[in-house]
Amino acid sequence: MNAPINAPINILGRLLRSPAGVAGLALLALLALAALSAPLLFPGDPLAIAGAPLTPPFTDPAFPLGTDRLGRNVLAGLFHGAQASLAVGLAAAAVSIVAGALVGTIAGFAGGLADEALMRVVDAFQTVPGFLLALAFVSVAGASLPVVILAIALGAWTGPARLARAEVLSIRERDYVAAARVIGMHPAEIALREVLPNALPPVLALAAVIVGNAVLIESALSFLGLGDPNIVTWGSMIAEGRNVLRSAPFLSIVPGIGLVVTVLGVYLLAEGLSDALASRKARP
Amino acid sequence: MNTISLSRRTLIRGSALLLASTALPPVAFGQSGGRLVVAADSEPRNLNPAIVASNGVFFIASKVIEPLAEASFDGEGGLAPRLAIAWEGSDDGLSATFKLREGVKWHDGQPFTSADVAFSALQVWKPLQNLGRLVFANLEAVDTPDDHTAVFRFARPTPFQLVRNALPVVSSVVAKHIYEGEADIAASTANLVGTGPFRFAEHRPGEYYRLERNPDYWGEGEPKLDEIIFRVLPDRAAAAGALEAGEIQLAAFSQVPLTDLDRISKVPGIEVYSKGYEALTYQLAVEINHRRAELANVKVRQAIAHAIDRDFVVRTIFLGYAETATGIVPKNAPEFYNGDVPAYPFDVDKANALLDEAGYPRQDGGTRFRLRLLPAPYFTETRQFGDYLRQALAAVGIDATVVNNDAAAHQKAVYTDHEFDLAVAPTVFRGDPAISTTILVRSGTPAGVPFSNQGGYENKDIDALIDKAGETVDTKQRTELYKQLQVLVAQDLPIINVADWGFITVASSQVKNVSNNPRWAVSNWADTELES
Repeated sequence: MNAPINAPINILGRLLRSPAGVAGLALLALLALAALSAPLLFPGDPLAIAGAPLTPPFTDPAFPLGTDRLGRNVLAGLFHGAQASLAVGLAAAAVSIVAGALVGTIAGFAGGLADEALMRVVDAFQTVPGFLLALAFVSVAGASLPVVILAIALGAWTGPARLARAEVLSIRERDYVAAARVIGMHPAEIALREVLPNALPPVLALAAVIVGNAVLIESALSFLGLGDPNIVTWGSMIAEGRNVLRSAPFLSIVPGIGLVVTVLGVYLLAEGLSDALASRKARP
Repeated sequence: MNTISLSRRTLIRGSALLLASTALPPVAFGQSGGRLVVAADSEPRNLNPAIVASNGVFFIASKVIEPLAEASFDGEGGLAPRLAIAWEGSDDGLSATFKLREGVKWHDGQPFTSADVAFSALQVWKPLQNLGRLVFANLEAVDTPDDHTAVFRFARPTPFQLVRNALPVVSSVVAKHIYEGEADIAASTANLVGTGPFRFAEHRPGEYYRLERNPDYWGEGEPKLDEIIFRVLPDRAAAAGALEAGEIQLAAFSQVPLTDLDRISKVPGIEVYSKGYEALTYQLAVEINHRRAELANVKVRQAIAHAIDRDFVVRTIFLGYAETATGIVPKNAPEFYNGDVPAYPFDVDKANALLDEAGYPRQDGGTRFRLRLLPAPYFTETRQFGDYLRQALAAVGIDATVVNNDAAAHQKAVYTDHEFDLAVAPTVFRGDPAISTTILVRSGTPAGVPFSNQGGYENKDIDALIDKAGETVDTKQRTELYKQLQVLVAQDLPIINVADWGFITVASSQVKNVSNNPRWAVSNWADTELES
């Protein structure tokens, strides 16, 4: 048995040995770089009208990827859109992992009625497709970035909750948990300090999948006009470009490529992570 | 060469035909007329044009239920007779006499008489109709001396100019024998029975409306078509493809996006019409909430007017299919239009100077104050203009936050709850300022009435002028008062008009007599023909 605390480091090491993981990490690093450099390379509002409308790509050096129907710089939109997509993806994943892990740990550790009640709530959320839930939530609460993040987390926290509970159920029977009980630790302290950290690694592996989903849901919401209209997102760029799909397809294709790269990177990383986790399990 | 060429277009056309043949009931070949398939972008819940006088309803229902008179390019006073053949107003404005057409039958065989007109006017138009409420506010009684004469009696003078201009929109006649005795006519589920060239046959929600030829129509040799199908195509981008594939033959109300027109106008067999919407001009306007201290200042409103580049809006958002606006009456209403009003040309420096003068200097970040901006969701153009306006305001130091809502939430936020600072509205000029234009600047409209002054604006001079014009019977004097009104509005800017636009009809060149009156898309299509 590995020492539980070292597990994350070992997983990272194995991840770097898997080609999928490395490719995923590289793609995401590229995106993170684009997102972080956006305010430096393209200061000001990316929605500002910068030039002649519908400039095709590769014709004007000032607008390498052209401009949209109102004359906004597509390249600036792409970079700032990366920011929005990654921010939403990471924030939604963080919210749903924290909420899910807490609920799962409490349910698994407390057992009995609390477990039953919490898991039925999870069931209730899982019966509604995540996207519909987000759609309904945003149309009621109004479109802004925090609401969108919450809406996506609302449909995504159940996965981590179930996984955390399953892990906790096995961990709580371990000797070191029994030892903690014997020395008189408070159950809440045992749950949060002894059990939760050890249940976390497999839950974190789920994070990558959640990020990928969150990016897609956010884009879909923006595409339907339910995103925050005051920031540029890839989904809203595609929606905007759809009106001129026949005459200026690049307006939809460019942000589409951004989406593909992000989701591909995230899934490759998830693939690498699950390989790394599997090999941990394989070696007793 | 004798190869079979299977292009994508023929493939699409073939599959469309196959689809159409299964989805729609079969029609016998060999008849004259044929079936016209039209794209419909919405499915109104209440299709009764006597109650809901809106273009979405008229688009379908105007073929079934007819008004007393229809707008016309060359008719006397801009009107062509329909159910009325002559009309006249008294000099005192207290009565209006309509001679009705004889020998007209309802679709269920009953004769059409003056009793139907009296019933429609008193029981439907005046109490229930969104626009009739205003036009017929003072209607007291309708006398029916004989079966084909209806005399409208008004309690207070009602200008006949207004009644005449409003006829095409407010006077859809419904059958007395259908609705008589109904407790709630607005909620009635009775079938649409009219006198029009087409009968209402069926509605399949989400699929189509079907209208069929009325063989007993009063018009000689009309209608020319056997059937009209309104195919529900809510996706605007799909209409162009459906037209090219031959699935539909006509798309009105700019269902084909403006950005596609250039391309589709070059497709053989497809015609683009920009005529036929003269009597239903839409106006792109910025509604202002005067409850905000900043916006209650006329200098701020003038600054906003100067910050908007109207030419850019017409060129970029409307791709040239619009005209810049100078005020609340559009240029293509020559009877009332007054171009001699204060203008606000695009001038960022002047806008900045006005805002400084108004006492709102730029703070550290260059921002003077913040606003909520609610673009109406009904048209791509209103949403795009919202995006543009946010940028235009940013250039003069006003930080606007765009709030996107769906149609219901937008109506509630702006017209009921007043939770907006600026809103982008597509208002409509309907042939006379008193129908749907003065309500945009007159004070005293209760909350909840859409497209009315809900910004809390109150100007005694403007109110007095509107009230006076409302009771001025003399056409010339009345017109003059509305010209003065335009000057007052342009000076004080209770609302900022940006552009006026009509719609575009795209049709297969087989369809004849398209766009031959100023309300063509919402007229009865009795003379519309399909050439095979």
